[in-house]
Amino acid sequence: MISTASAVIGSRVSVGHRMLALTWLISPLLLLATWALVAASGHYSAQLLIPPADVWHTFKDLLHSGELLEGAAFSLRRLASGFVLGASGGLLFGAALALSKTVEVYCAPMFHVLRQVPSIALIPMFILVFGVEETFKVLLVTKAVFFPVALATSEGIKAIPRSHFEVARLYRLPRYSLLLDVVFPAAAPPILTGLRVGLTRAWMVLVAAELLAADSGLGQMIEMGRQMMRIDVVMVGVITIGLIGFVLDSSLRLLERRLFRWKAIKE
Amino acid sequence: MNNLLSHARRARGLLLPALLVAAWEVASHQGASQAYAFVPLSVIGQGLTELIRNGDLLISTLASLQRTCIGLLIGVIAGLLVGAAMALSAIAERLLAPLYHMLRQVPILGLIPLIALWFGSQEGAKLLIVSLAAFYPMTLNTFEGFTHIDRRYREVARVLEWNTWQVFTQVLLPGALRSIANGILHALAFAWVSSVGSELFLSTGSGLGNLMMNAEAGARMEIVVIGVVCIGLMGYAMNQLFSRLTRHLLRWRDI
Repeated sequence: MISTASAVIGSRVSVGHRMLALTWLISPLLLLATWALVAASGHYSAQLLIPPADVWHTFKDLLHSGELLEGAAFSLRRLASGFVLGASGGLLFGAALALSKTVEVYCAPMFHVLRQVPSIALIPMFILVFGVEETFKVLLVTKAVFFPVALATSEGIKAIPRSHFEVARLYRLPRYSLLLDVVFPAAAPPILTGLRVGLTRAWMVLVAAELLAADSGLGQMIEMGRQMMRIDVVMVGVITIGLIGFVLDSSLRLLERRLFRWKAIKE
Repeated sequence: MNNLLSHARRARGLLLPALLVAAWEVASHQGASQAYAFVPLSVIGQGLTELIRNGDLLISTLASLQRTCIGLLIGVIAGLLVGAAMALSAIAERLLAPLYHMLRQVPILGLIPLIALWFGSQEGAKLLIVSLAAFYPMTLNTFEGFTHIDRRYREVARVLEWNTWQVFTQVLLPGALRSIANGILHALAFAWVSSVGSELFLSTGSGLGNLMMNAEAGARMEIVVIGVVCIGLMGYAMNQLFSRLTRHLLRWRDI
């Protein structure tokens, strides 16, 4: 008896919960409805405000013609190569900065000065030095990833308790083993956060670079759409950029939570 | 002795930058193709005096700075309102949070083409970009500031039977102040970067970004370098100024 009663209450609660969860959809749906209504009213020209259904059609068109996927593939390839370069450089430099007094004394001041320069501001300079080809975009991504990763790595390693190093010395661990088995695992949570911050920034800078100078990629697709006054293409591009950024960020967040479940991360 | 040692240590920190500048100078004398990218230091010096003398540097910096300040003000006020509303009212959170988090996913500079189509490329469009850039971190930090207030303080207020206004001004606002100040610091950084960034894309008007884009079109590397240095310095100076100011103003909060 009691168990059925509690089951009924339980199911009612879960139904209530599900209804409550649906309320999150109210405002996006309202926005969509307002957009559709205003677009249908005909007060604004189709070049300025296009009905959501048309944007959806354009999305499907671009998806089927392969244009969207191709653009995304170009952008993601640039992001990946720049990310690998910047992240490995940042890891090595950050570790050196934290572990070696010499490196710190010679490099830290310049590192902290250079990290003040926003990546966006470097776009004109990189274009002049490297031209508008791939090199400039990949290096820009590298720069955007390198600094947050290096900073997070060096601060993460500096925060490792001294006792870890003392035990390692006691066991006479060789240097590579000290790095691979002690230092990087112990500093992994902040490093992963640094990687995530770097990836988010890199995505933003890459899109900006593609908007300014590119012959391929999502940014270029948007810029072309703007020049041809195709607001539907622009909107599809903007939404895709947002989606990709969201997926990248949340998959790294998920990885953080999975890897460090034992560590009770404070959100 | 100690003093001398720290001086020596600081001097060693200057070694690497000095080497790099020297390498730059050497590279600039390696023939025409190199001099295009690596301009000699003397040319950078000339460019700097030229920019200072004709007032370009001052006008551009002030234009970027002015947009940053106005955009920051709009973004901070809007962020305070939205963040506080989402934190203090469950209904407002239900309605605003989904929209906020959806919009936030798009990198701010990625929105520029859309904003340019709707609002043109005048000052208003740039101001909107800067305000949005300041609005995101401000909302997030305000929301966190108001939601992370110790329950005990609210309970004290309930025991004392304070009205809503008293609770807000005596409990909630002081409790959220540190997080709000942090939000303004973030908003400042984002506003400055997006102010300069918006100028790279929307080429009307003046600003440090415009100065750099024009210099890039004319292949005048020395002006680009000066622009980069100026942007970095200004960003650093504003950050230092504001964090010192908050530390001074909020010193009573230190527990």
